[in-house]
Amino acid sequence: MKRNLVLAGMAAALLALAAPLTAAAQDETLAQARAGGLIGEQADGFLGFVPGATISADLRGRVDQNNIQRRQLYASRAAERNVSANEMAAAVACEVFQRRIAEGERYRDESGQWRQRTATQPVVMPSFCPS
Amino acid sequence: MSKRAHLLTGLGAVIAAAGCIPVQIQAPDEPIEINLNVNIHQEVIVRLERDAAELLDQHSDLFGEANP
Repeated sequence: MKRNLVLAGMAAALLALAAPLTAAAQDETLAQARAGGLIGEQADGFLGFVPGATISADLRGRVDQNNIQRRQLYASRAAERNVSANEMAAAVACEVFQRRIAEGERYRDESGQWRQRTATQPVVMPSFCPS
Repeated sequence: MSKRAHLLTGLGAVIAAAGCIPVQIQAPDEPIEINLNVNIHQEVIVRLERDAAELLDQHSDLFGEANP
């Protein structure tokens, strides 16, 4: 009995340690894929795959998971504000385009075209964003 | 004309009347709506600006960290 309790305690401690580690690892994979030009932010408020890039099954799963969580986030905040989820997603895209696309990263503009932010070419903001 | 024929004519008149009346009543009441979707859309985005910024700050796991 005592031994079981000790084992349970150890398992709980391991789980507590493992949870933040996996979360951080997930961010790192996505961050690397963004920096490497495999994926990018889109004007619709979601992550997308850059055409021609080789996407591993692991990366595809992480991007899909990220987008599913984003969709839930948009939907719940949209319901609170009495707007559509698409409108909330568009508002987030404006903020993302302004503050979350680093130099060298690729992004997909409003018309569906993929572009790259460079030292000389700043991010082209979607037309629906407040200037 | 047989009784049945009279009945059918009557029915036809009733159906025709039923079909016409709602149209006659509704037509003047219907307001003319002008679609201003483009402007409304941008206004909504402006209104949601603070919410969007908040979501970004609270969910760096989904949106990454702010650019340096």
